[in-house]
Amino acid sequence: MNDMFVVAKFTMRDMLKRKSFIISTIIILFMIVLGCNIPNIIKSFKGESSKAKVLIVDKDNIFEDNLKELSNEENEIITNVLTIDEIKEKLLNNDIDEAVIVDKIDNNISFKYVVKNAMYLEGSPYIVDVLSNLYKEMQISKLNLSEKEILSINPVFNYEVEQAEEKANGNVFLMMILSMVLFYAVYFCAFQVSSSITTEKTSKIIETLVTSTSPTNIVLGKTIGIGLVGLFQLVLIILTALFSVTTFLDREMISSVLDMSSITLSLGLITLLYFILGYATYALLYALTGSTVSKPEDIQSANTPVAMITVVGFYISYFTMMNPSSNMNMIAGLIPISSPFCMPFRIMMGFADTNEVLLSIGILLITIFIIANITIKVYSNAILNYGSKMSLKDILKMYKQK
Amino acid sequence: MLKIENVSKSFGNKKVVDNISINMNKPEVFGLLGTNGAGKTTTIRMLLGILKKDSGSITWNGKPVDRKKVNFGYLPEERGVYPKVKIIEQLKYFAELKGMNKEDAIRSINKWAKILKVEEYLNMPAEKLSKGNQQKIQFMTAVIHDPELIVLDEPFSGLDPVNTEILKKVIIDLVNKGKYIIMSAHEMHTIEEFCSNVVILNKGKTVLKGNLREIKDSYPANRILISVNKDINKIIKSLKLELENSVGNSYVIKIKDENDGYKLLDKVIYSNIKVNKFEIEKPTLNDIFIEKVGGKDE
Repeated sequence: MNDMFVVAKFTMRDMLKRKSFIISTIIILFMIVLGCNIPNIIKSFKGESSKAKVLIVDKDNIFEDNLKELSNEENEIITNVLTIDEIKEKLLNNDIDEAVIVDKIDNNISFKYVVKNAMYLEGSPYIVDVLSNLYKEMQISKLNLSEKEILSINPVFNYEVEQAEEKANGNVFLMMILSMVLFYAVYFCAFQVSSSITTEKTSKIIETLVTSTSPTNIVLGKTIGIGLVGLFQLVLIILTALFSVTTFLDREMISSVLDMSSITLSLGLITLLYFILGYATYALLYALTGSTVSKPEDIQSANTPVAMITVVGFYISYFTMMNPSSNMNMIAGLIPISSPFCMPFRIMMGFADTNEVLLSIGILLITIFIIANITIKVYSNAILNYGSKMSLKDILKMYKQK
Repeated sequence: MLKIENVSKSFGNKKVVDNISINMNKPEVFGLLGTNGAGKTTTIRMLLGILKKDSGSITWNGKPVDRKKVNFGYLPEERGVYPKVKIIEQLKYFAELKGMNKEDAIRSINKWAKILKVEEYLNMPAEKLSKGNQQKIQFMTAVIHDPELIVLDEPFSGLDPVNTEILKKVIIDLVNKGKYIIMSAHEMHTIEEFCSNVVILNKGKTVLKGNLREIKDSYPANRILISVNKDINKIIKSLKLELENSVGNSYVIKIKDENDGYKLLDKVIYSNIKVNKFEIEKPTLNDIFIEKVGGKDE
């Protein structure tokens, strides 16, 4: 047991001192801070003119000088009488962002919406709806109607959504992001175990090592050491993301997509638990593939099957999350290759009951035990295999060897 | 103390170690000789439990050799270090794995670094060291925890003469301190210098085993060295002896037994030639090795 922690400590120190680890962590943290600052950066470039400039050409004064009232925090309304060519020129010079030409033929009001590029335009633009409403309100007010009459013509429609399926408790967006973070953390962290084991064979230190401690201590010690470094990196990323989101982003914008109240201690603990279980499952699989090769150039091809299992596991969980009340999502929460990415989502959204959670953890623990057993056995027998990459048949032979 | 009895190992259908037995009853350097592929490293790996033996028994003080029960040190044939890790860090790591606490480990590292003259490299990553110095670091890994049994697989290969001398002194010192050392080597003169007992392996089988002095004594003399003041080629030819080598008037001549030597000496003296040096030599370990394995000293 003591030796296992000596191996874990040495592996941790080695990982933390690696330039590649330090640089990649700094880059990730920098990208998070930068990403959260993009709206501020755009704002600072635009300066005061961060509002969209909307030109409205109302040569017949249909809106009776009411247009300026439409200016708000997001839009600055400019009125002027210009020709279509002049408007296009202003758009191309970025003097304005959009324009509406208002015309009245007989009793019909027509709007011509002019924009730099209409490729992504779907439905009527927001400003056109605003102008339609304004015109309607102007006309209603001219009728000198009572409040009741106005309300009967222009009632306030209450809008509610009711779903047939059981209602989710949590924040789907947050949980999907978390599931993705878990996938990347598990994937990249577990991968390191394989290269760490192969490197010891490449550098021929393995013989000294196996005469100093047991294969079990080496495999589990490495897995724990790299896992702790991965966990440290994950915590650093999450804390930086939380800090950046709350410090640099506009609160209204955050609350429109993210319910900050759903970031709780229980979410943290569940994420931590499934990171540990998911990492252990995949790290031990990577340790198995790492012990079957002795040259660094063979690591990637040896790891491909495990990488594919990881990706398949993630996609099973991701696609079934779109329909969380389905049986498929429940199964994804139990299969050990997908449950680490899927179960935190199901728990936090209120779809998984206690039995399901316990079953999922139980299956993962049994899987970890079985994989660890196979890995340690293959590792012990493959220590002196310095030749080319081992085939599945060789691995089975190594496993069956006493 | 160390007893290897009737140990065998096969890889597939090929028997690489066939019924080998070795006994070490006192602190000494035991020589394990053989050509490439003779089974030396496989024997060592079985002794240390890296490879499982097919049959036979290996015991130390009557107990099976086990990493947990026997305090042993090992310098493998395949040299290896962590290239990016500082020397002191990796030495501390192995010392801790061998049960030492931090203080004892540092004390031992400093002691051995001084003996092996590698103090200046302790805070450098291994990749910056020459191969010879990396080898000395690996030797430190083998002895840092003061083991009773030390297994050295080709300890001198790749070392320059200065470092070879340093290591030789260290090995002699370890034996004087009561350590049991098993050493495999290709260099026969090294084995002759250190080992009192040897085993010669060929294709997995023991072809010669025992005390080196007794083995050599059991062989008849096979050459003479003679240094004279005149050319004696005619005399050598008249006695039908084979000249192995000559420099000036110094000759190395092959003989079948000691009588051939005395006959030559008689004739030289009878011819009034002054003899500066005359020596009858027993076969070297190299001669015996070549005779037994039928190949070259590698």
